[in-house]
Amino acid sequence: MTNLEKYNNAFIETFEITEDQLVGLKYQDIEAWDSVGHMGLVAALEDTFDIMMDTDDIIDFSSYEKGKEILSKEDYGVKF
Amino acid sequence: MIEYNKRNIRTWSLLGPSGAHGTAVMELAETNPDVLILTADLCFFSGLERFKTAYPDKLYNVGIAEQNMIGVAAGLAKEGFIPFANTYASFCASRCADQVRVNMAYMGLPIKLIGLTAGYGAGVLGATHVSIEDISLMRALPNITVISPADCTEIIKAILAAAETSDPTYIRLTGPMNMPIVYKEDYNFAIGKAVTIQKGYDVAIIATGSMVAQAQKAAKLLEADGVKCSVINMHTIKPIDSDAILEANENHKLLVTAEEHNVIGGLYGAVAEVLCKEGVHKPVLSIGINDFFAHAGSYSYQLDISELTAESMKKKILSAIN
Amino acid sequence: MTEIELITKYEDAAKRIRRHIIDMTYNTGKTGAHLGGSLSIVELLAGLYAGEIRYHADDPNWEGRDRVILSKGHAAMALYPAMVEAGIINEAELSTFKQDGSKLGGHPSLNGLPGIEFASGSLGQGLSLGVGVCLAMKRKGNQDSRAFVFLGDGECDEGSVWEAAASASHYGLSNLVVVVDMNGIQYDGYTTEVMDMAPFEKKWQDFGWNTISIDGHNIEQILEAFSQRGEKPIAILAHTVKGKGVSFMENNWRFHNAALSKEQYEQAVGELEADK
Repeated sequence: MTNLEKYNNAFIETFEITEDQLVGLKYQDIEAWDSVGHMGLVAALEDTFDIMMDTDDIIDFSSYEKGKEILSKEDYGVKF
Repeated sequence: MIEYNKRNIRTWSLLGPSGAHGTAVMELAETNPDVLILTADLCFFSGLERFKTAYPDKLYNVGIAEQNMIGVAAGLAKEGFIPFANTYASFCASRCADQVRVNMAYMGLPIKLIGLTAGYGAGVLGATHVSIEDISLMRALPNITVISPADCTEIIKAILAAAETSDPTYIRLTGPMNMPIVYKEDYNFAIGKAVTIQKGYDVAIIATGSMVAQAQKAAKLLEADGVKCSVINMHTIKPIDSDAILEANENHKLLVTAEEHNVIGGLYGAVAEVLCKEGVHKPVLSIGINDFFAHAGSYSYQLDISELTAESMKKKILSAIN
Repeated sequence: MTEIELITKYEDAAKRIRRHIIDMTYNTGKTGAHLGGSLSIVELLAGLYAGEIRYHADDPNWEGRDRVILSKGHAAMALYPAMVEAGIINEAELSTFKQDGSKLGGHPSLNGLPGIEFASGSLGQGLSLGVGVCLAMKRKGNQDSRAFVFLGDGECDEGSVWEAAASASHYGLSNLVVVVDMNGIQYDGYTTEVMDMAPFEKKWQDFGWNTISIDGHNIEQILEAFSQRGEKPIAILAHTVKGKGVSFMENNWRFHNAALSKEQYEQAVGELEADK
């Protein structure tokens, strides 16, 4: 699986949504992405990419796109 | 059905104590029809956002009226329900103390009281929302089970376990969001049975709540200095696991108690009471808040000035052992 | 039974209760008991326990029962003889009042006496208990039972009473009845002088309650008040006389909690006998 596929899967599994919902998806856009769902997503991504996310990054992670941006940072080094 | 897998454990730790509380009561709503939840205008703060949407008829918000909350819980309990009520730990032990005393301690009604942001959890709000005395006050009331879980997984287990008993129970929640994980996988939790997290026969650190993780870190630091530590998670302060304390006393040179609580009357007091009955015991070092109110500040700031960090623990233990 | 017969029945019960209170107090010797506030609620309790209350004496935990919560727990001495009238406890038990190890304590407790819903005595808490009980009864689909919470007027100084009052209205507790024993005197004197809570009836109304103001010693008015049911919780404001029934105790704050000498006992009994 590519990193992008892994990334997408984390969203799809955590929120029980489909791939076509991903682009443009933001925190609180859907019921599943509430504060509880948010942490579930972070845990899934950490597990998938074997990383530990920083508190500030967890807070900044406000959308599907922003998440990619954050994970691409040197701290996590995920290449999409 | 709650699954204690890696992802969930991490999710709960990220959510922090209130989120763990919310997760646990969602499970109870599905498995135990007698469980009802009460809050005093802290529905969102106590992690009940999803519960409110999913089970609005099982939730009673009494507004900012903690005394009424406990009395209402008592009425519900007497009529056969299992009420879980929550408020700041400081208010549990002070604001509605008389209701706790009469309804939980005296009448023994099966009320489960959750003390939010115990210790320095709400430290940014200052001393009025901090609780350094709740273990001490609750301990001195007959019949109340007092539990202080070590991490978010244990918070969930403690809440689920409490629902199974008919004992009035107080559960104090310490720790921040992104709370350190003590239990990386599922384990056996039983009220009243301490858990030995690791063994090492120089020093026994008997810790509770948030200090268990700090004790684990301190133990690691001490190992580098050639000091081997046991870390014992005393999650239930009352009824305390005397056997675990006496065994630790037998097998180690120094005992340490560690709590995010006043050094007066909390875990240290409880452990000392057990040991003093024995007549002769090993030296006991008490690590806790030295009977003062800290200035308002972040959680880590307050742990720091109260000397409750792993680094501080290490220094004190080295000093005591030499 | 005709209405006259019913009223007579309850008035006779009140007389028996009143006499028991005097006997029970005298039996405590120098210890004494809470005479004033017990004597003031005699007719109110007679009205309930001598017939109006839903209760099965042989099944004290019957779900269909009415729940009585004596929030002003120090008036337990009136509660116990009232419970004798309903057949819940035996008359013989009354002689154990305030003895060491007795089930009949100065305040009600949960130590084995049937018919006591909650231990009380710490004032200001009973209404919250009533709110919880009423919420529970509604949850269980129990449309018939009610909770009767007896409060003292001095007790209403406690803020916790008003927390509960607000919530009762908020939750629409049509099955909750408060009876306030308005005898006008608290430990340190007249309620108007210690802590004046006027306008009292208006406060209950402003908190969303229906209020019924009665003479707390008039059985007919008491029965009429107890028969009321509506959408809102009801506060029966019973105007009473502290120490009612014994001339030297009436309106006398010294008899809030007092022992009786032989002379006082004999005088009290004489007055009650004459009233038969």
